[in-house]
Amino acid sequence: MLGDIINPYHLQIVSFILINIILGISIYITLSSGQLSLGNAGFMGIGAYTSALLTINFDLPIFLGIILGAVVAGVFGILIGIPALRLSGVYLAIATLGFGEVIRVIFVNWDSITQGSIGLSGIPHLGRELFKTFKLTGFDPDMLGLKNNQFIYLLVVLILLLVNILLVWFFIRQNKSRVGRAFAAIKMDEKAAESMGINITYYKVLSFTQGAILAGFAGALYAHVMAYISPADFAYHRAIDILIFSIFGGSELIWGAIFGATFMTILPEALRFISDYRYMIYGVILIAMMAFRPQGIIDVSLLKWFKRKLKLKRRGSLGIGTKKYN
Amino acid sequence: MRNSFKKVYLLISVLMVVMLAACSEDVTNATSEKSGGPVSAKIGVISYMTGPGAAYGEAITNGFNLALDEINEKGDVKIELIIEDSAGKQDQALTVAQKLMSSDDIVALLGPTLSTEMNVVGPEADINGIPIMGTSTTAAGIPQIGEYVFRNSIPESLAIPAALEKAVNKYGAKKVAILYGNDDLFTQSGFDTMKAEAEKMGLEILTIETFQKGQSDYNAQLTKIKDLQPDLILASALYNEGAVIMDQARKMGIDLPFVGGNGYNSPQVIEIAGEASEGLIVATPWFGEKDDPKVQDFVKKYETEYGHKPDQFAAQAYDALYIMAEGLKNAGVADRDALRDALAEIKDLDGILGKFSFDEDGDVIMEPTVLIIKDGTFQLFE
Repeated sequence: MLGDIINPYHLQIVSFILINIILGISIYITLSSGQLSLGNAGFMGIGAYTSALLTINFDLPIFLGIILGAVVAGVFGILIGIPALRLSGVYLAIATLGFGEVIRVIFVNWDSITQGSIGLSGIPHLGRELFKTFKLTGFDPDMLGLKNNQFIYLLVVLILLLVNILLVWFFIRQNKSRVGRAFAAIKMDEKAAESMGINITYYKVLSFTQGAILAGFAGALYAHVMAYISPADFAYHRAIDILIFSIFGGSELIWGAIFGATFMTILPEALRFISDYRYMIYGVILIAMMAFRPQGIIDVSLLKWFKRKLKLKRRGSLGIGTKKYN
Repeated sequence: MRNSFKKVYLLISVLMVVMLAACSEDVTNATSEKSGGPVSAKIGVISYMTGPGAAYGEAITNGFNLALDEINEKGDVKIELIIEDSAGKQDQALTVAQKLMSSDDIVALLGPTLSTEMNVVGPEADINGIPIMGTSTTAAGIPQIGEYVFRNSIPESLAIPAALEKAVNKYGAKKVAILYGNDDLFTQSGFDTMKAEAEKMGLEILTIETFQKGQSDYNAQLTKIKDLQPDLILASALYNEGAVIMDQARKMGIDLPFVGGNGYNSPQVIEIAGEASEGLIVATPWFGEKDDPKVQDFVKKYETEYGHKPDQFAAQAYDALYIMAEGLKNAGVADRDALRDALAEIKDLDGILGKFSFDEDGDVIMEPTVLIIKDGTFQLFE
């Protein structure tokens, strides 16, 4: 019965959504300290290539590869983040966009290791490798009434889901902590934040690096879910896509990035039935959104309204007199 | 304020519901007949139909549709195509492949359009045991992905040596210069073959120059090449950059013949570069002027149907569906494994591209035609 519900097609979409959510959060976190970085595609590429090369050439376990991918991307984040501090606004955006392109060109030209634009194939697949391990322990997906590929993709989705829950939990906690408040203060007004005794250098580099680590982490996951990467995957298109996740959903809140990534990943798939026009509609939705809700779909006031609504409902169902809110 | 929120929310939720409903739309309905009468089967097509490379996908699907009508009319097999768009992106190609593969009715996949997409989709199809055939994937190593992966597009490793050999013999060339785009899978893999082949033939490679996609000024590379005085220029480029390169080379006074790969082979080169395109030598499976009733018939039909001449992508797609039909006929049942075995055994199938066979990997065995641009058209190169 489980086998009838689970469709690898849907699981595949869900796994891309979950990866895109991580990417969305990665740009949200840099935006939350008021920095617009377009280098996340580059960091994603670093994470993807690091993990792919390590697992292919040195037979490293995938989990270690993914973590090292994120770490290496984070190191690059610190290296780029410190000089980039001098820049802000569009200047930072252009500098980081340039960084992303440099990374891509390095992947293209460093033939001996990255195989240039041919790309890396034969990257161990997260699901398939796990499946092999499960097989060794004598587990058979048949016991759950699942086919092999259903089981493989279910595993991938479950792992990604767990990772996502942990990440979202962590960043919500962080937002409510000293660090999150410092980010918000810097975003509002750097000078004011500095005069309040916030170490701007530290917090800006911290948020930039967190973004880089997350992007690298997502990149590494991407590499092991696709089993093939090429430099073209990490071009500026990707940077723009990532930015759209957060801007569309709303860049003030983490929920915005999550919603944006989910919506933007489902949209092209859902519009398949009008295949020729689907990207047109994608564009129209973006334009309409920018015209009517430039702050993104989900913002603070919407969330408040939603919470109030929930509270009202709860009260109503408890039989306590409903008080008119406005 | 609250009212406008409500409206926005209503709109969003309606959209979401529509999308979810569309997502779960299933393709499993019709039952395929397994005994008696002609074999009827569904074949999934993954094609690049939206985005910058949409022209490829369009030509390919046109080719499929033309062949489909003819095959179904003949009645040996009944085929139904389910065409899906990949937008030229690996992740979309993979999701859509999953969608098609999860329907048990679909016995084979045709496409995807790009080699990069095939690198992602191929292994997945192989694991799921569904035959997949690329009609435009020319990079090295594609059929070697697995035993369920085939292609009918001639790889660069077949096209470039043929063109190079004829050109070298004709002009008695000893020294060559190579120019290639290093940020594209297609041109990179063309270059790898060029270099290997030139070395094998004992040619002296004077210089290797690179350029990037969308570059508009090639004077630096061309000046260097001109100073070295080669006998031939080998260029692995796609037609848009290729045409500009030829134009600038001629303006600089380089009137050497160019030898190009498969991506260079497009009537667009003549359109963009005009007279400057004279002397471009390419090897191709497809020659629309070929004196063969089958070819002329195809060209005529295609022109009346779609209003312009077919290119190699349309021709390869057209032949690919015939190969699938032949495989299905020989297999006798609409079954993935039976079809794979039948495909692997296809020998000397007569198509519009010529006699076609698969080698043991599922790669193409075929004699490419070498063409040269002369007097504003592609002509046979003798």
